Amino acid sequence: MIIKKDRMGALLGTLAQHKTVFVPALIDGVSKFAPYREGLDVRFDLHNTKLPPKDLLFPQTQKMYRYGETAEGGHYVEQFDESSERVLFGVRPCDMRSINLLDDVFLTKGFVDEFYEAQRKKLLTVCITCAAPAETCFCESMGLSPNEAPDADILLKSCEDCYKVTAQTQKGEAALADWRDFLEDTQAQVLPGKTSLRLNFEGVPQKLSRMYEDPIWDEISTKCLNCGTCTFVCPTCYCFDISQENKMKEGVRFRCWDSCMFSEYTAMAGWHNPRPTKKERVRNRFMHKLCFFEERYGKTLCVGCGRCVECCPVALDITRLIDDIGASDA
Amino acid sequence: MPKITVQHGCAKAQLALVPKVAKVIKITVETPDVKSFRLQMPNGEASFLGEPGQFGIMGIIGSGECVFVISAQGEDWIEFTVKRVGQVTEMLHALSEGDEVFVRGPYGNWWPYEDCRGRDMLFIAGGIGLPPVRSFLQYCLEHRADYGRIDLVYSGSTYDELVFKHQLFDEWKTVDNMGVHVSLYHEDSRWDGEVAYTAPYLEKLAIDPMGSNGEGRVAVICGGPSLYRTGTKELLKEGYAPENVLTTLEMRMKCGIGKCGRCNIGGKFICLDGPVFSLEEVAQMNRDE
Ligand code: SF4
Ligand code: FES
Repeated sequence: MIIKKDRMGALLGTLAQHKTVFVPALIDGVSKFAPYREGLDVRFDLHNTKLPPKDLLFPQTQKMYRYGETAEGGHYVEQFDESSERVLFGVRPCDMRSINLLDDVFLTKGFVDEFYEAQRKKLLTVCITCAAPAETCFCESMGLSPNEAPDADILLKSCEDCYKVTAQTQKGEAALADWRDFLEDTQAQVLPGKTSLRLNFEGVPQKLSRMYEDPIWDEISTKCLNCGTCTFVCPTCYCFDISQENKMKEGVRFRCWDSCMFSEYTAMAGWHNPRPTKKERVRNRFMHKLCFFEERYGKTLCVGCGRCVECCPVALDITRLIDDIGASDA
Repeated sequence: MPKITVQHGCAKAQLALVPKVAKVIKITVETPDVKSFRLQMPNGEASFLGEPGQFGIMGIIGSGECVFVISAQGEDWIEFTVKRVGQVTEMLHALSEGDEVFVRGPYGNWWPYEDCRGRDMLFIAGGIGLPPVRSFLQYCLEHRADYGRIDLVYSGSTYDELVFKHQLFDEWKTVDNMGVHVSLYHEDSRWDGEVAYTAPYLEKLAIDPMGSNGEGRVAVICGGPSLYRTGTKELLKEGYAPENVLTTLEMRMKCGIGKCGRCNIGGKFICLDGPVFSLEEVAQMNRDE
């Protein structure tokens, strides 16, 4: 089955009648996933959106519960459920993998995050393979392929002027019913993508676990501004803070993205801070991505999307770090 | 000698992020800046019960939350012991009996009280480190026959800083085969007991690491960073096996359920894998202190 590229607009129009369909779009010069509507500058030709799609599942600010006083003088708590039927359409393999990693964080290890789970169940994922990865893409070095996305419900393989359509899950299979009018039973030549940026990731997690006290952390952290940009644009960074806003006798408790790059992040009552300088923070960020997460979940928390490489104002480049460590004999 | 094994990541999913409302049914003033808060839900039940060493998160309705070990519990209540150190604890201290708070939990792992059966026990705490230690000690006392000799070494910098004085100086004095050793770091007009830091006091007490039955005494130690450093060093010097020394690790926490990401020490999340670890395990961690 294929869908012609010039039929995509019509397909989106149809799908958007029943669900909110998030597509890569250019909005005020920044590319990100936005709800499809007529006139939106939809861009399936971008390698990757500037901002990752994580906020669909894990909003930058998420209301958790409302509370206040009851007539009897006690208090009530009322949980929010703002989840809705959503389609993530046109996500790339690296970002698809990032959702698999967020699933591990929020849905496993004893506790299920009720807010993430509610939205995750209502999300359909449609992934487009990358025929032409960007210069900063290194997904292949992180064990992914630009041509596959095993976790996507529906996979669209990029061809010259069409996409080859495959349902990969039951959910995807069922969803294809709505696509029928737009699909054609024709063969097409898939354009395979290849990343040009190649890193030697072999053995890096093991080496890192022995490099906690290595001088490399002093060296690379010197130029970091602790601005948090890297964690903000990262599709797998998931740290959050919890806070509240009150109005009269009522209030809302919400969570919002936080960053391990901020000094306040680990400061304890009494102002003891186990990660007082940027050296400890930079080290924790990279170790978490490339080593700690592996110890805990058996996976690497970097998908090779290249966003932090592109956005860091001081070019603190994770690919250089990986290469340096890969080449070292730690 | 059977090995003591600390279980990790064993908290059973209960309240994740949304708290329950609970009433403060009793406040005990422990010291000038420490109070214990006994909580119960408005329907008369406990919000939850925990295993010895597990913690809960208590919050001011309309403000922040903080993490506290469940310092005591009954059938229909739980209690947290709170030192006034920051904004939220300041507000907690301003509460009166009958006020309501938010509470969620229980989180974290617990003291390996089953593996410790049959052993002699040495409990060591400094200042506000006693509540977590007491959660284990209390369990041993409730199952007195299952444990051997029990010693408690507790110190504070001033007389005022000592918590649970009633138990220290009355209740526990009468327990069979138990020694209570209290010291102050500094002279105090109200104090005619031992004046010593914890490590030298331990050295002086020379409590045999093998225990009376030769099985290896289990030491449990909680306190500030310097007590932890000097105390554990002393224990190892005296010949305690690192796997027989148990402690709790501390990091800043927000979620308590292993999601928000801030409490990690290396690959371990203290809120979920901890807070209880053996010294043997701590030694294998890459730590920011
Ligand atoms: S984006 Fe660069 S400068 Fe900013 S916190 Fe990350 S590594 Fe540091
Ligand atoms: S407190 Fe959130 S992960 Fe431990």
